[in-house]
Amino acid sequence: MENDMTPTQSLKVIEEMIAQAKRSFHRQSYYFMLWGVLLIAAMLFNYVMALRGSTIGGYAWPVMGVVGGVLSFLHGAREGRSKPVTTPMDRVIMWLWMAFVVTLLLTILSSASSGQAMPLASIIVLTGLPTFVTGQLMRFRPLVFGGILFWVLGAVAYFVPISVTVWLFIAAIFFGYLVPGYLLKRQEDGVRPA
Amino acid sequence: MAFAPLDPVLHNQLRLAVVSVLVSVEEADFTFLLERTGATRGNLSVQITKLKEAGYVQVKKRFKDNYPNTMCALTPKGVQAFEAYVRSIKPYLER
Repeated sequence: MENDMTPTQSLKVIEEMIAQAKRSFHRQSYYFMLWGVLLIAAMLFNYVMALRGSTIGGYAWPVMGVVGGVLSFLHGAREGRSKPVTTPMDRVIMWLWMAFVVTLLLTILSSASSGQAMPLASIIVLTGLPTFVTGQLMRFRPLVFGGILFWVLGAVAYFVPISVTVWLFIAAIFFGYLVPGYLLKRQEDGVRPA
Repeated sequence: MAFAPLDPVLHNQLRLAVVSVLVSVEEADFTFLLERTGATRGNLSVQITKLKEAGYVQVKKRFKDNYPNTMCALTPKGVQAFEAYVRSIKPYLER
C-alpha cells in the first residue's frame, strides 16, 4: 500500500514543496549589472561632454537605451528558452519593470519635448520604486536598501545644483544597482551554478 | 465533524509533492521536479503519468537545445483537486 501518509505528513510535504518553489528562479542580477554600467557610463559621458561645452553628450541616453534594451531582450529570450520553471513572481517582477520603463520614457520624452530640463531628481526617486519592490519580493535585502537609497538621494537631489545631482545619480546607481546586482549574482551562482 | 475521504490520486507522497510544486509555479520541467522532489526518474515518470491520466496535470513535450524536454503544469481540475485535498486533511489535523 503506497498511501501510508498521515495528514500531518501530507501537510509537511505540501509546506516543504511550496516553500522551495516559491521564489524566483530567473537570474535577475544580469539586468541590474547591465543597466548599472550603462547608466553610469551614459551619465559620465553626458557630464564630461557638458563640461567641455559639447551637446553631443545627450546622445548617450538613446544609445544606452537601445543597447540596454537589445541586450536585455536577448538575455530574456535566451533565459526564456532554457528556463526550468516559471513562477508568478517572475511575471510580477517583469511587468513591474516594464511599467517602470514606460513611466520613465513618458517622463523623459514629455519633459524633453516640452523644453524642460531632464527631471533627474524625479527619475532617481522613481527608480527607487521597482528596486525596492523587487528586493522585497525576492526577499533580497541589498536591493531593498538600494531602493531606499534611491528615494533618499533622489529627495536630496531636488535641493542641490545639477553638478551635485549628477554625482548623486551615479552614487545611487552604483550602490542601488551595481552593488546589489553583484551580491545577487553571487547568491544566484551559489543557488544554481551558471 | 465527518472525515471526508482523501483523494487517492493525491494521497501519495510523490504525487502530492509534484502537485505542491506545480501549484506554486506556473509550469516546471521534468528535471526541476526531479531536483525538488528527490525522486528517481522512473518513479517520477510513472507518477506524472498517473496525474496526467487523472486530468490533474498537463504534460507538454518540447525540444530544448536539441534534447527532448517535458514541461508540466497543473490543470484547473488539478488545482481544484489540490484545494479539496487540503480541505479534507484539515479536520484530521484539528482533531
